[in-house]
Amino acid sequence: MSFFQFQNNNTQKNDLKMRRLKLLICGALLFIAFTTIGYRTVSLAGLNDKTVKNSFRSVNSKNLIHPFRGNILDRNNNLLATTVNISSLNINPQEVLDVNQTILKLKKIFPKLNREKLLQKLNSNKKHVQILREISPRDHVSLLKLGIEALKIESSKKRIYPNHSLASHVLGNTDIDGKGIAGIEKKFDKVLANGEDISISIHSGIQHITKTLLLEQINQFKAEGGAGIIMDTKNGEIYALVSLPDYNANNYNKLLGNKLFNKATKGIYELGSTLKLITAAVALESNLINENEVFDVSSPLRISSRTIRDYHPLNYAISIPEVVVHSSNIGSAKIAEKLGSSTQLKYLKSLGLMDKLSLELPELGRPQVRTDKKLLTTMTISYGHGISITPTHLASATATIVNNGIRVDPTLLISNSARKNKRIFSKKTSKTMRSIMRLVVSNKNGTAKQAEASGYLVGGKTGTAEKTNPAGGYFKKQNIVTLTSAFPMNNPRFVITVMIDNPKGSKRTAGWVAAPVVNKIVTRIAPILNIKPQTKSSVNFSRNLLKFKIRGKDKGAIL
Amino acid sequence: MIKYPSFLVVFLMIFTAVSLYQIKHFITKKEIELAETNKAIKTTQSDLYILHAELSYLKRPDRLEQIAKNKLNMKGILPIDIWNLKDLVDATKTFNESGL
Repeated sequence: MSFFQFQNNNTQKNDLKMRRLKLLICGALLFIAFTTIGYRTVSLAGLNDKTVKNSFRSVNSKNLIHPFRGNILDRNNNLLATTVNISSLNINPQEVLDVNQTILKLKKIFPKLNREKLLQKLNSNKKHVQILREISPRDHVSLLKLGIEALKIESSKKRIYPNHSLASHVLGNTDIDGKGIAGIEKKFDKVLANGEDISISIHSGIQHITKTLLLEQINQFKAEGGAGIIMDTKNGEIYALVSLPDYNANNYNKLLGNKLFNKATKGIYELGSTLKLITAAVALESNLINENEVFDVSSPLRISSRTIRDYHPLNYAISIPEVVVHSSNIGSAKIAEKLGSSTQLKYLKSLGLMDKLSLELPELGRPQVRTDKKLLTTMTISYGHGISITPTHLASATATIVNNGIRVDPTLLISNSARKNKRIFSKKTSKTMRSIMRLVVSNKNGTAKQAEASGYLVGGKTGTAEKTNPAGGYFKKQNIVTLTSAFPMNNPRFVITVMIDNPKGSKRTAGWVAAPVVNKIVTRIAPILNIKPQTKSSVNFSRNLLKFKIRGKDKGAIL
Repeated sequence: MIKYPSFLVVFLMIFTAVSLYQIKHFITKKEIELAETNKAIKTTQSDLYILHAELSYLKRPDRLEQIAKNKLNMKGILPIDIWNLKDLVDATKTFNESGL
């Protein structure tokens, strides 16, 4: 064997080894690839119900669980607004075989259909004619049973309000495309559009009671309208928010004008003497006035061009509790004079009476307060003139006064956690104010005697104010009457504020018109709210309340 | 003579093809099931929404009030109808103390 032959044999052996190695690598790669594909194939083939459900849930959860706009529920999960599928009845006139027979069949199910109009529709050249915009599921089944040719039942979504006018101003409404255009529907449009439900703090039963009793009084006194708010004094949750006149929320698009206007949160009014509560609370809180100080109210007070008078004049000097119980404008003006404009405006600001409410509604009124700091302005604001606020502002301020002085902001949502709010008045001032408010109702000289609901220790403050004339000045014979109250005054749980717009008749003061409403509301809602009546012999009856001497017109000392 | 690796490759290819066909068939069946379930859920949900709305309509406070007044002759609860047990004990005590 030559050297070259030996070398050639060696090269061939090496080539063979190399090829085998390459083949082995390729084989190994192919094996790995096929094993991987095979494993995946087997694992996919092993799909079970659980994996299908999981993937189904993750992909389709949104579409399936929330196919409609979210519901609005009250605090007890009663449905206030929902969306349902509705069917509309349409027909293709070109496919109708016998027009008369079709009309006969349709009239069997819908007797109210007009034959002439039907005839006109069925003889038209169109290919799609709507006969009825909404039909019930029962009618749908009847139509299928009759087997009318050319009929087309189309499905669409509709927002409905099963309680009709109940809380219509709170709920608001949606437009034809299902977009919120007013009330909660507008405020929480994004949340509701995502299919999420919203629970609001409204109590359907209490809302109905408030509305019914307020409406009775409005009808009795031929008033233009009114507002009523029931609010938890601790957390500001609104149980009832009524604005009258109201409307059937299912007919929203057909409505115009004042029915849509929310008097409770958007309307601003001069609420008269109810503001004396704030004046008295500020006087007690500030160190500018001595608690036992008296104010001479025996003669009218002339400031600039204006004379301040009392509705029930007294001929002696009266204390702060007496100013509130007798509702003395002169006394209130004199207190304000001592307080000064800056202190007054500071407290009005801290009570939220100079800003829009933080309520979850788009329809909110901005208060109008005169801030010129003139003495006359300070004096008139002290008894509720020169300051226009919404009835809900007043309810909020009342709640703050009776809630140990801690500010209460109204809310339409159920508060799951306690909010830490600012203290405006001391506990002592709050206790004194609660006692004075109780006297306004319980004392024989009080202006809200008709608000007394036996056993429930109602306290409050009335306000009768002449309506402001948009052209300037006041309407002398048109009043806004208001009562802001709380109960039970030994441990206030709820604030009730009632406002009635322009009651007619000789007795059109808050004491005659608004106070009886509060009495009836308290009597009806207290058992629902688990508030037990207390007898005079009960140890709790007057606990937490102070006694003040309230003198009458004849100066007699009455407790 | 068929070599062992080639046999394995052919076997895997046939296995893969059959498996893929089976999966496709299985998925198609599941998709139909899913569509049917989807439709059934939507119909049931729609029916539920209507039933809830109807229930809410029937539970309207004004309707219940009318039924309570006119059909059941019910009246509003007055404070005098509600007794606090503690007050009852106090009243009994007063009654005993007075010697009546």
